[in-house]
Amino acid sequence: MHQLANAWAKAYTETTLEHARPEEPSWDEDFADVYHDLIHSPASETLLNLEHNYFVSISELINERDVELKKLRERQGAEMDKVMQELGKSLTDQDVNALAAQHFESQQVLENKWTSELKQSTAIQKQEYQEWVIKLHQDLKNPNNSSISEEIKVQPSQLRESVEGNGRIYEEQRQLEESFTIHLGAQLKTMHNLRLLRADILDFCKHKRNHRSGVKLHRLQTALSLYSTSLCGLVLLVDNRISSYSGIKRDFATVCQECTDFHFPGIQEQLEIVQQVVLYARAQRSSKSKRQHDSVNRNGGNEEKSKNIERNQSNILPGEFYITRHSNLSEIHVAFHLCVDDNVRSGNITARDPAIMGLRNILKVCCTHDITTISIPLLLVHDMSEEMTIPWCLKRAELVFKCVKGFMMENGFMGCEEFLGPYNFWYLQTISEEMFYQLSNMLPQIFRVSSTLTLTSKH
Amino acid sequence: MFPLKDAVMGASTFFASALPHDVCGSNGLPLTPNSIKILGRFQILKTITHPRLCQYVDISRGKHERLVVTAEHCEKSLEDLLRERKPVSFSSILRIAYEVLQGLQYMNKHGMVHRALSPHNILLDREGHIKLAKFGLYHMTAHGVDVDFPIGYPSYLAPEVIAQGFVKPSDHTQCEKLLPSGPKSDVWSLGIILFELCVGRKLFQSLDIAEKLKLLLTLGCVDDIVTVLAEEHGCLDIIKGLPENAIALLKKFLTFQPSKRPTPDQLLCDNVFSEVASIYPCFHKPASLFSSSLRCANLTLPEDITQLCKDEDCDYLAERSIEEVYYLWCLAGGDLEKELVNKEIIRSKPPICTLPNFLFEDGESFGRGRDRSSLLDDTTVILSLCQLRNRLKDVGGEAFYPLLEDEQSNLPHSNSNNELSAAANLPLIIRERDTEYQLHRIVLFDRLLKAYPYKKNQVWKEARVDIPPLMRGLTWAALLGVEGAIQTKYDAIDKDTPIPTDRQIEVDIPRCHQYDELLSSPEGHAKFRRVLKAWVVSHPDLVYWQGLDSLCAPFLYLNFNNEALAYACMSAFIPKYLYNFFLKDNSHVIQEYLTVFSQMIAFHDPELSNHLNEIGFIPDLYAIPWFLTMFTHVFPLHKIFHLWDTLLLGNSSFPFCIGVAILQQLRDRLLANGFNECILLFSDLPEIDIERCVRESVNLFCWTPKSATYRQHAQPPKQASDGSGSRDSMSCFTADYQDAPKSDLSRDSIQLNDLKAEVSPRISAEDLIDLCELTGPSHFKTPTKKTKSSKPKLLVVDIRNSEDFNRGHISGSINIPFGSAFTAEGELIQCPATATLQSFKGRVVVILGHVVKNTACFAAHLVQIKYPRVCILDGGINKIKPTGLLTVPSPQI
Repeated sequence: MHQLANAWAKAYTETTLEHARPEEPSWDEDFADVYHDLIHSPASETLLNLEHNYFVSISELINERDVELKKLRERQGAEMDKVMQELGKSLTDQDVNALAAQHFESQQVLENKWTSELKQSTAIQKQEYQEWVIKLHQDLKNPNNSSISEEIKVQPSQLRESVEGNGRIYEEQRQLEESFTIHLGAQLKTMHNLRLLRADILDFCKHKRNHRSGVKLHRLQTALSLYSTSLCGLVLLVDNRISSYSGIKRDFATVCQECTDFHFPGIQEQLEIVQQVVLYARAQRSSKSKRQHDSVNRNGGNEEKSKNIERNQSNILPGEFYITRHSNLSEIHVAFHLCVDDNVRSGNITARDPAIMGLRNILKVCCTHDITTISIPLLLVHDMSEEMTIPWCLKRAELVFKCVKGFMMENGFMGCEEFLGPYNFWYLQTISEEMFYQLSNMLPQIFRVSSTLTLTSKH
Repeated sequence: MFPLKDAVMGASTFFASALPHDVCGSNGLPLTPNSIKILGRFQILKTITHPRLCQYVDISRGKHERLVVTAEHCEKSLEDLLRERKPVSFSSILRIAYEVLQGLQYMNKHGMVHRALSPHNILLDREGHIKLAKFGLYHMTAHGVDVDFPIGYPSYLAPEVIAQGFVKPSDHTQCEKLLPSGPKSDVWSLGIILFELCVGRKLFQSLDIAEKLKLLLTLGCVDDIVTVLAEEHGCLDIIKGLPENAIALLKKFLTFQPSKRPTPDQLLCDNVFSEVASIYPCFHKPASLFSSSLRCANLTLPEDITQLCKDEDCDYLAERSIEEVYYLWCLAGGDLEKELVNKEIIRSKPPICTLPNFLFEDGESFGRGRDRSSLLDDTTVILSLCQLRNRLKDVGGEAFYPLLEDEQSNLPHSNSNNELSAAANLPLIIRERDTEYQLHRIVLFDRLLKAYPYKKNQVWKEARVDIPPLMRGLTWAALLGVEGAIQTKYDAIDKDTPIPTDRQIEVDIPRCHQYDELLSSPEGHAKFRRVLKAWVVSHPDLVYWQGLDSLCAPFLYLNFNNEALAYACMSAFIPKYLYNFFLKDNSHVIQEYLTVFSQMIAFHDPELSNHLNEIGFIPDLYAIPWFLTMFTHVFPLHKIFHLWDTLLLGNSSFPFCIGVAILQQLRDRLLANGFNECILLFSDLPEIDIERCVRESVNLFCWTPKSATYRQHAQPPKQASDGSGSRDSMSCFTADYQDAPKSDLSRDSIQLNDLKAEVSPRISAEDLIDLCELTGPSHFKTPTKKTKSSKPKLLVVDIRNSEDFNRGHISGSINIPFGSAFTAEGELIQCPATATLQSFKGRVVVILGHVVKNTACFAAHLVQIKYPRVCILDGGINKIKPTGLLTVPSPQI
């Protein structure tokens, strides 16, 4: 009876507002509301400029760090050269080793110093920023105090000047893109937008230092929609380790750190949280599967799975993905880190491949969390290798197109009709233009492209 | 439904539970979302009408499985009585108990249980009568299976409900099914509420949920529950002060063992209510349009008729049914979600804050707690009618009571009259969104349909203007001439015995218009199954062809709560438009139909016809699903409605024109492409502008001589016994060619092969005579305004040799002898007669001759050089001869 009553009580507290525990005020959400209000007010420009200023100072720091590290390495290289010349004459191998160790150590020290400095200034920036935003919001609410709003009007021009001049000019590469409007569905047709573009994946993320109006608009657009119901997402393909040490993961993390994230924890922190969550999830799973094992006879499939898990609890498996949130990237808010293995490089993956299933789940999450724009690597690889011939590319693109079409229709069936935003299929820059046109020709064969309106003169 | 009167509308919201990840139904299709299941089950609640129950009006689905329910609401409830913290007098408790029991009894009669009785769900209307709210929640959620939250309130749960336990809905693997609660659980809840009213305070206030429930379960061990409860709450003296029969009544309500507890039905017969019962008259549900009982049976006029005319400035809107008021409220800009957001019932977090951290391959997510905004808040928000009333403030009382007798002016003479007639010229889409216009139309149709079938002609007339979406179901039934005791007929059909077709029906239903919430709900599927089976069983000479499901869809959608009417409409529709299409061997019918269709293409668009014939893209390849389902297979429901609004006004040859109109919209793409591209294009038909399609098909229809679409296998003429009088006023647009009396001048049937060989349609001599106005005024009426110009619409080309021609011909005809008409390349040879023909290009050209083969050949030549509207006279000159209409030209000097 005790259990019975408790089960009921639990049901009530978990599902009804009347009996639920009162909500602890969450700083995140309050800040979200405040920010959302501000960014949709005349103060938005000031906010963006402030963000940009912070960004500039961080990138100056990074620059300095790079210069200093480079200097150190040059100095050390010279020293080492000298030593090497002396090797065998006055110095032994041991001496060289000792020097190398010393060099490494000093490099580490310097790097650590910079890392902590960066961390510190990011933290300071973040705090300053958040305080300032809250204060600004309070001031704006309070019409008597108009000094700030005047400040807002004055600030931009000053800021802009300081921005001009410094900074390397971002190298614009030729971006190829083509947009399609498609219809899905047999009787009731829903309209979606697709965009095929050839670009570097980090182009969606990188901030451009030169403050051109177009770039700024992009930034404003991203900021405006941060707490809205039209988010932008990006799919990154990662290996089975949750870290930022190598490959695309490192590049992405570097871009993330170029600028302070004023809303969400930094990339490293987020990854740490993900690691914990993964461990927790695995534990949940194994206890659950154990329970099933106890009740159901052991079968081969489960065993294999549990073996997999035993290998390394903190690693993730192909088809699984983790999500990070960002406010500091130029065109995206959400990054899906989809785990893939070397299988995707082979030519014969099917629609049941874990990578594709992961893609399906990503689209589902998009649907449930109002991510209306998603960018997908069309070929499911980040860098090309020799075995990826033109037929390979075409075959892969066809598979991804078809699968995505299926998932879109499925989501429509699940009741997410409002999911109309653009899907971006992007792929590597290393591919030829010819390839691009082949792919853009393939798309209308798979998706029903909406009819163009033909204007004809009346007789 | 009752008039709104002084009731208000309220909206409340809850979430359906989310589906488990990656689970498929037994048929391999994705599972139906729980919100759709609930939506389907909700529909029947709209038909439950009782003075003691809040009328349900609508349910709508929001994002992420949210449901918003709209229902009648009152501002006061028993909660307010309890808040006064004073014991309520026994006499009013008796009244309350009796009224609640009445409501419960009515629900039980319809197989429903409340389960969520609580003081704030028992509302009090302005006159102090009871109205039960939220009575359908337990039903629509399949006894609570489809939602995460428990249904009912801890203090009022019956012991047997608690004892069953609460199965967490997340454990979908657990197949253990709970028995649904019965009517007696409500009796317990009501008992607790009555007890609270008696003592003037709430029970178990100081206990937490678990303690409350434990206490309730332990009550089984005590002898006298009422006394124990009273002692527990220190109000024994109040209870002791109650009359004897009051305590006896409470004890009956609060019987621990459900087997010994009485049902609402039994309680109503209890002696204690004998006095109260006499006040309440027996409730009769008003008869609906197609009921077998007499609709005017209970109609009584007050002694003094002047009383009816008394209240001058009464609230006309309040006299409309709550369904209509809600519909208009939505049109006037009402937004349920916005109302709920304003009252902070819907509080959503920014989605970026609720993203999970990590997902397994099977879709299970981790890293985010339960979203607080998804918790149940069952507060009801009152929907303000201010905006609607403001919108309608200029609408006079006449608009609510239009006079139907006056044939000349149906539009009310209010200040808004001008605006209204201006609105009538706007595009249909805009008219359907116009609050005022819809109000007028709804009121008008409501009155006309109430007078159906007496006012059938006027229904036809008004339907030609447009059909208000709210009244579409009944209007269509009226247009199809549905009459009689349809429910009895439908009930008499055996829909349960398995038949061989079941398998196919089972396969087709989950693929039929499933984007629609209603039709994709399990409730919708069950209704589909019954209606389709009923049709198959009751038409033994016909069979189920795939496509019948699509055909059923619009009728079922419009009459979701009235399967009998859906069935009756479908049974009336099929013989009218698809006569014998559902024969076991229907090839001759379909072949003839398609041949006539290709003739129609040639008649209206020779260029397209030439191209399609050239690439071999014949109607057999694409048009069978069009006609077999009357376009329901190719269009979404909202387009079908607009298409059929017109189709139902037309005769059985109207679909040909729709087909041609569709082809014309795709004309450019068809002309530019070869066979393969055309097949691809039609495999997934592009968007069609349906309003344009309707407009063009009406236009095409007006250009088509009515005998041109003659079909041998069409429905044979009906015996003119049924209501021939009512037919008189209908124009040719609606009457079938087949229905017209047959004479010598009518068309004769020809062999399919011969028909196939002819590119152009034949027309009858009657038509020719009509069109040439050889015998007085034309009968060629159009459904729209008659645009009769003085210019002849048509040119008769006589292809006999000139001697025959001179011996006698139809006046106004020109003579182009067949032998000397065309060059070897197929061009017309220049001569005065062909020049006349050229100048008539675009009008109807009738080829007339002796030999059928020659006329057909001549017509084919003309089509080849892109002459539109070419047709042949059936029977040739010989048909005309007996009429004496041939004239001999006076010899020229």
